Amino acid sequence: DEIGLIPCPEARYNRSPIVLVENKLGVESWCVKFLLPYVHNKLVLYRQRRQWLNKDELIDITCTLLLLNPDFTTAWNVRKELILSGTLNPLKDLHLGKLALTKFPKSPETWIHRRWVLQQLIQENSLPSLVTKGNLGAAPVERIHRLVQEEMNVCSEAAGRYPSNYNAWSHRIWVLQHLGKLTVKVLLDELSSTKYWVSMHVSDHSGFHYRQFLLKSLIGRTVTDSNVLVQNQIINEQNPSLQKEEESAGAEAACAEEQSVDLPRHLEEELELCTELIDSYPGHETLWCHSDETLNNSHHSPATSPMAQAMDVDGLNESSSKQGYTQETKRLKRAPMQDSFGPEVEYRFIDKVLSTCRDADQARFATAYRKWLVTFLGQ
Amino acid sequence: MHVGGEVDVRSAYCAASVASLTNILTPALFAGTAEWIARCQNWEGGIGGVPGMEAHGGYTFCGMAALVILKKEHLLNLRSLLRWVTSRQMCFEGGFQGRCNKLVDGCYSFWQAGLLPLLHRALHARGDTALSMERWMFHQLALQEYILLCCQCPAGGLLDKPGKSRDFYHTCYCLSGLAIAQHFGSGDLHHEVVLGGPENRLQATHPVYNITPEKVARAVMHFLQQPVPSLEPA
Repeated sequence: DEIGLIPCPEARYNRSPIVLVENKLGVESWCVKFLLPYVHNKLVLYRQRRQWLNKDELIDITCTLLLLNPDFTTAWNVRKELILSGTLNPLKDLHLGKLALTKFPKSPETWIHRRWVLQQLIQENSLPSLVTKGNLGAAPVERIHRLVQEEMNVCSEAAGRYPSNYNAWSHRIWVLQHLGKLTVKVLLDELSSTKYWVSMHVSDHSGFHYRQFLLKSLIGRTVTDSNVLVQNQIINEQNPSLQKEEESAGAEAACAEEQSVDLPRHLEEELELCTELIDSYPGHETLWCHSDETLNNSHHSPATSPMAQAMDVDGLNESSSKQGYTQETKRLKRAPMQDSFGPEVEYRFIDKVLSTCRDADQARFATAYRKWLVTFLGQ
Repeated sequence: MHVGGEVDVRSAYCAASVASLTNILTPALFAGTAEWIARCQNWEGGIGGVPGMEAHGGYTFCGMAALVILKKEHLLNLRSLLRWVTSRQMCFEGGFQGRCNKLVDGCYSFWQAGLLPLLHRALHARGDTALSMERWMFHQLALQEYILLCCQCPAGGLLDKPGKSRDFYHTCYCLSGLAIAQHFGSGDLHHEVVLGGPENRLQATHPVYNITPEKVARAVMHFLQQPVPSLEPA
């Protein structure tokens, strides 16, 4: 489940350089300068049609090559050909990639190939063939769900192996967009499962950007679903005879369920998370940046914020202010929490930070944030 | 980037750069490209590899430069882009970081600082009257200090930051960034700011193509004189 290079400049004993301990594969470094050119040369000769290799040899050689250097695009491309010809199970490449990423967590070619493989797998969804060999069996929806979960794990591990791992987090977003279809459930699950991780990696801008992506997708989802709900209602009123009852009831129930995403609460929690982290870990620009944008989200989201009515600057707010007002009164009735969220709170927080912090960067960020608040909110 | 390869903002820039220099640029070739690039700009103000991704110096340069070539830079929110890129100059090191909360890196001397001439031009075209006529909107001397003092390898060549080893990529982009930092504008408006002695002075580089302006002119002239290839196969 993991590969690595064992620093060992000379072969002292006449034995294999491959070391396997507790499911972890190690290669003694002295052999690389012999092994890599050898396998590389063999593959290049094959590609130039000067030396034939059969399918098993190709699989072995590319596997070896990619574990030593996963950015060797040609090797991945040979495997693409093997997959397309039905000789290689695409799931094997997911496993190979995962292994390569334990040592090379950024490797762009590995992530790119991974997306190609996943695209193949989604297309194959309707065709049994190779898919049944990989024992994911099960119904397509369940299969996809498991693939998504596995990808989340792979991304998470790679993100932990290299700070601000752009490629890992980009892949994670891609998977949600293309495999996870950005359902509310997936978005909320990801929001809760990454909360601890980002708290342990407070400078990881990519991690926090991911949370912005989740929050914005949720906002987009809520707006779309409420629009769809309204449209459905209009259609129902106009053409009751055309409705298949089950379908419309199901769709409306789904919309209603998704409509009940408590966006204000999630945004509030996000802001609380930022505040906590900023307090505990002074001087991290990412946290301030994230805080900025979360407040921005809550201002512009039609379903949230008392500021929306007071300001009334957005066309968006104007058209949905009725809905916003209803949501807002519900919130007020639920608990006297309106004071815990808003510009006054932010100003108090900034003043507290400025008066107590001893970190120059922290003070700089706090001052900039205050300036932004003043400009942005005009208060 | 290549047949069967990944799709991101870099390839749009490569394509626009090549097509414009070789005079094969047509609206059909880039139909929808400008709008796609604009979608890569995110809430941070910078541009990511594909829509939805984190803002990143390299991709931001490629996106902006491609839009400049396509004459569609106004599809971007230039104000938030300006805010993002100027925040990327490190107040201690003087060099630029590639993304928020990351370390400085010599190559971003070009990818990030190189955005400011492009922005300057775009804002000027829009009639902005607050623009300087002598300097770009970043600290030119601080960047030059970072490159000259921290990014040189004693054996020759340039690098990311002290402690890293030299390579051609960093040599290219540290030098390109140095050229950007030394030269403001062109023609009548040209204004130089060279840190240290005259031996430090580099030739100006073209902010879109990153080759000298003379070479850009020669390339364009050369291809204008060639017959434009037809789309039909021979």
